[in-house]
Amino acid sequence: MNTESKKETTVSQTDDENQSESTVVDSVDVAGRSIVAKEARTQEGKIQVATEDSGNNLGSDSCIQVAGLDAWYSDFQALNDINIEIKRNQVTSFIGPSGCGKSTLLKWINRMNDIVPGARATGVLKMGDLDVLSPNTDVVSLRRKIGIVFQKPNPFPKSIYDNVAFGPRLHFKISNSEMDELVEWSLRKAALWNEVKDRLRKSALGLSGGQQQRLCIARAIAVGPEVLLMDEPCSALDPGSTAKIEDLIYELRQQYTIVIVTHNMQQASRCSDYTMFFYQGQVVETNATKELFTRPKNKQTEDYVTGKYG
Amino acid sequence: MSELPKAIANIDVNAELSLAKRRHGYSWWFNLLCLSIASLSVVVLVLLLVSIGYQGLGSIDATFLTASHDPEDPSKAGMSPAIIGSVLVCVLCALTALPVGIGSAIFLEEFKPTNRYLKLMHGFVQLNISNLAGVPSIVYGLLGLTLFVYMFQVFGKLEQNAVSGVDFWGVRRYYQLLSLDQSSTVLVPMVDSKQTTYKVTQSIAGFNGKEQPIQIQVWRRGEAKPTDPEVLSRTVRENASGGLLEIYSWYYFRLPFGSSFLAAGLTLALVILPIIVISSQEALRAVPPSLREAALGLGSTQWQTVRGVTLPAALPGVMTGAILAMGRAIGEAAPIFVVLGGNIGKRTGPEHLMDSCVTMPILIFGWAENPVESYRELAAGAIIVLLVILLLMNSVAVYLRQRMNQLSG
Repeated sequence: MNTESKKETTVSQTDDENQSESTVVDSVDVAGRSIVAKEARTQEGKIQVATEDSGNNLGSDSCIQVAGLDAWYSDFQALNDINIEIKRNQVTSFIGPSGCGKSTLLKWINRMNDIVPGARATGVLKMGDLDVLSPNTDVVSLRRKIGIVFQKPNPFPKSIYDNVAFGPRLHFKISNSEMDELVEWSLRKAALWNEVKDRLRKSALGLSGGQQQRLCIARAIAVGPEVLLMDEPCSALDPGSTAKIEDLIYELRQQYTIVIVTHNMQQASRCSDYTMFFYQGQVVETNATKELFTRPKNKQTEDYVTGKYG
Repeated sequence: MSELPKAIANIDVNAELSLAKRRHGYSWWFNLLCLSIASLSVVVLVLLLVSIGYQGLGSIDATFLTASHDPEDPSKAGMSPAIIGSVLVCVLCALTALPVGIGSAIFLEEFKPTNRYLKLMHGFVQLNISNLAGVPSIVYGLLGLTLFVYMFQVFGKLEQNAVSGVDFWGVRRYYQLLSLDQSSTVLVPMVDSKQTTYKVTQSIAGFNGKEQPIQIQVWRRGEAKPTDPEVLSRTVRENASGGLLEIYSWYYFRLPFGSSFLAAGLTLALVILPIIVISSQEALRAVPPSLREAALGLGSTQWQTVRGVTLPAALPGVMTGAILAMGRAIGEAAPIFVVLGGNIGKRTGPEHLMDSCVTMPILIFGWAENPVESYRELAAGAIIVLLVILLLMNSVAVYLRQRMNQLSG
């Protein structure tokens, strides 16, 4: 069980088929600043130092930095010395067996655990300059920047329009026409507009499960967040809706940083760029998804991804 | 594991079948018992309605609904002041109890404090609300008497024909004198509130019976009486003395409230407050926590969550509780008796805030105990009217609930 303070992956593949492009050496120091130095070994074996990730990553800035994070529920320690970094405009997935702390970590990113009595955390969790765990942080504006979608779709018992408009009405003072525009944009981005555009004023509870979950995603992006957290968003849905939402997640990553907790390893391998494997409150391994699933470095990781235990 | 126990190794099918038959028989008798008991309650209810209807339907006519109580002639007696009084008392009760009750329920359910002292207060309030719901309503009547009618006598005792209590606005006091033409009155504004009578000695500016300003003339013995009827109507005899007259506007406000419909409404609000708090709490508890989480996850404050999500979702349940409570309030007789008294002779509804009134239960009681038979029939008619009004209130509530369910899907 490695704790992630320094992670080094080198892949030297000279195979024509598997040309590895993204070899990354990262370190995160205790204050949360990330020192990113990358070496890329090209097919010819040259080493290049680049300031940006090559490959299909669109932006490599670090969005969320976690250092030395411990979290408890009353006396039970759910997270133990977490040191990770979530990269901007990528989909990062947290995988691991039940009770390993991935949902706990996800919820601490936007302080949703505040409503759980007895939950507390120590350590550093930062989004750029913003110290998330500090009691002085305004949780209300934090949650506007970091949105969350839950496991079971939970639209409000209001109309579809009012569901999407609920968030903007809390944070912005905008006119009706601007709100109409915002609602349409959010629903389009969530790939729901065409299905609901002529029943915006009808109740949201009349939608199917997959539509409701897309509505929750639209609702979350209507306030203009930077990060989207998703706690097993497809586990309550049928495969058809799941596929639609996975496509959506893949599209959304161009604009948002997405962290997704999933039990479904196929889902993680389908839609995430980066995967972190958790076990019993600690991060065992983190790597680009392709790498983690095909060449896991840790025995535990390998056992989990090959299904030896769930 | 390969050998079955004796009980199931050789099963006697016939014995099993006859036992099954007996079991079915018991079950059938049990169903019958339940059905009879349920029918019994329905039968009792139907009997009640039919007997009331039979006794009372004949009494209901236009006079009944528009006239006021007539102690001499039952055929001329009506319940209009009682209807107005009941409705006004109920409205006042609702306006007071609903905000306080729903607000308390929101505090108890949504804002669970972590501070130690607030936690103690929270637990204390929660415990006592449950106890208060069971307190007999006549106890609230006595409480209302001390608290609203007398106000612990802090502002003095209310007296007839004397200025008492603390007035805020809405009352004008005069000394009333009979003018020379024996049919009109003149009013002299009161200056000194301790003086209860006034003697006219000289011409003075005052008002006539309609509160229009006039100059009051004095007629002294030996003088000639004025012949002009207008002047005559504002002339008084020298040394005539007049007593106190109080004219109230509708917004007259005084402490202590005395036996007013305001006191009655507030007392009733106390009676139904625990019921509203408990039912609202239940309704709020029934809102799934996932909705609250969704609202909080979008960055709403606690108040915004309650106002935008929790309260609208709980509103149908809150309203049901409120309507049930109002139904109980409109029929409460005991606390109203204590606060207002049993006088059913009032001719109109309350004319100002501090005016007394008659309510329907009081009227029903007054008629029912009247030795004259005809009045008892009137009581049955009044019961029907009360039930109809109750039904109307419940229908309005059901309609509002339907509308809200439609709006929220």
